[in-house]
Amino acid sequence: MVELQDVSFSYTKEVGTLTHVDLTIRPGECVLLCGASGCGKTTITKLVNGLIPAFTEDCTLTGQVLLHGAPVREQPLYQLARQVGSVFQNPKSQFFNMDSDSELAFGLENQGMTRGEILRRLDDTTDRLHLKRLRGRNIFAMSGGEKQLLAFASVYAMGPKLYILDEPTANLDRETIERLHDQIAYLKSRGHTILIAEHRLYFLADLIDRAVYLRDGIVERIWSGAEFRRLAETERIALGLRTLTPTQVTLPPSRAAGEQDGLSVEGLSCRYKREPPVFQNLSFSARPGEVLAVTGDNGVGKSTLSRCLCGLMRESAGTIRLNGRILGAKQRQRIAYCVMQDVNHQLFSDSVWGECQLAMEGLSDQRIQEVLERLHLLAFREKHPMSLSGGQKQRLAVATAMLSQKPLLVFDEPTSGLDYARMQEVACCARELADEGRVVLVVTHDREFLQCACDRVLEL
Amino acid sequence: MVFDPRVGLALLVFANLAAFSEQPFWMEMIWIGFLLLLMLLHRCFAMVGKSLLIFGGILCLQYWILPAAPGWVATSFSIFANYARRMMPCLMLGFLMLRRTPMPYLVAGMRKIHFPQRLIVAVSVTLRYFPAIREETGYIRDAMRLRGIRGLAKLEGIMVPLMVSATGTAEELSAAAVTRGIEDPAPKTSLVELRASPVDSAAFVVGVGLTAALLAAKLGVFPW
Repeated sequence: MVELQDVSFSYTKEVGTLTHVDLTIRPGECVLLCGASGCGKTTITKLVNGLIPAFTEDCTLTGQVLLHGAPVREQPLYQLARQVGSVFQNPKSQFFNMDSDSELAFGLENQGMTRGEILRRLDDTTDRLHLKRLRGRNIFAMSGGEKQLLAFASVYAMGPKLYILDEPTANLDRETIERLHDQIAYLKSRGHTILIAEHRLYFLADLIDRAVYLRDGIVERIWSGAEFRRLAETERIALGLRTLTPTQVTLPPSRAAGEQDGLSVEGLSCRYKREPPVFQNLSFSARPGEVLAVTGDNGVGKSTLSRCLCGLMRESAGTIRLNGRILGAKQRQRIAYCVMQDVNHQLFSDSVWGECQLAMEGLSDQRIQEVLERLHLLAFREKHPMSLSGGQKQRLAVATAMLSQKPLLVFDEPTSGLDYARMQEVACCARELADEGRVVLVVTHDREFLQCACDRVLEL
Repeated sequence: MVFDPRVGLALLVFANLAAFSEQPFWMEMIWIGFLLLLMLLHRCFAMVGKSLLIFGGILCLQYWILPAAPGWVATSFSIFANYARRMMPCLMLGFLMLRRTPMPYLVAGMRKIHFPQRLIVAVSVTLRYFPAIREETGYIRDAMRLRGIRGLAKLEGIMVPLMVSATGTAEELSAAAVTRGIEDPAPKTSLVELRASPVDSAAFVVGVGLTAALLAAKLGVFPW
């Protein structure tokens, strides 16, 4: 079905992203690409769906990528689109329409299918994938999980033989991941070929026929499905892979409301204008030095809770206290800080150093130096924040949080698309912030991360 | 009820002709009245109120406030007020289309009247982008509030993160678009079916009538 013959690729002339990769994917096979961030997984997926080299300039590509025996680079992208379906990582940037039906029909309209046939395919798709409730909806009002399922369904509607999934679960909760698992299983049972690049592996373990492990653009290992499932814990960790089995959360629940020391939330309700409350009568406490996980499925109000705690929206009922003192929304803005899911939204200065100076007035150079040193960012002090890698940006946001000396800190979904090493790193950051005497809340639906990073858990 | 995109686009052309050809004031009033009625028939009641408020405001400015204002204020604002008033019909049509012509209908309409495919893609992606940008700016504002960035710095601070995330989004969007065959040369079809309602057909006739009247006025058919 797909053949990579001695493929080497680099974005610029100097560094190689892939080196001498040979890989054959047989029809009906489900193949996993795994390895640390930046190991070349995504590059391989893009070579197969044709985005490389069509969408890259100044790259060097040698070797052959064949689809059904024909070189991919010689086929126009629209022809590939009829055979290869691609689902990407970010559910927000994969749709073109505002309503779900038009989105499902998008690929079919492009192929010039008749209206009757489009309608038949739409019904068939939502029947087979059990997604009836996604029909006729406003996409901007959907949760991230629903958007991703819709993206998957829109690709399915086009009826490709080969599916390419690039970190499809990066932003999904446990329930949606289970649904995605079932959908992939269904595709497999129908004899479709699947190539999937992922960090989160537990949900895939039973589906894959082969796993390809990449390190720095080189195929290091290829396991059969059975070999992969037998992989020893120690070896998995040494390879920097995330867990292969579902994580059991064994953390104690959050403390009851009323702590005098730290954060205490009593009978909290939040609602957006004229809508039913997102959550009601919520009570819990968190002590300084403690990392509290806030978890629950997409759409239960995790983000609303963190916005409310940070004073970015008003509570409709209940009180929020810090060290026994009731705080209004404006006051909470002064004591709370948030490391956002997309850190691009919160870096404003033109250098790493400047970003740190913005954190608080009257910071000494020595203090900034110390914090940057601790987060391994000192070497980048003169660089523009936007030129940093994803992980470095996140650490920079953590640095500004440390410097701001605010007593309450919220991490909002810090783990989307993280490999094992980055996951440990974020856990470490959260721990350090807590050790400095802050109340740290981590909003996440990543159970593996939650279990390794937090002390207690609040399930919404 | 969907406002037919073909009628909407045609009326938009007529309204533009009217706005830029110095139509007589009574004709302008007919345009405004006609569009208010159209809004009512499409059940956009709040929009009627808003349009009346804006139009009334501009009239007040032009006929009462500016004549009484000091000379430099009058000269700097009278051109603005005059053009704002003339553009009002176009603005109202724009409001109505944004509210009552969902994007798939607009795209289908543009295909029906043989707009170039490139232009259709550009228009639909632009419209798709507005809500996305609103979402992004919301996050950036939140971040600035927590950082205590206020005043002018806020305006400056919003640009870089917005540009960075917008380029990222644009790249991801186009990747998703081409892998779903947006460049396919096959004649495009459409899930939605366009049928102009009686109201919209009548509106089209009125638009043609008004344009004919404008032409007649320009040729000096009317004695006044």
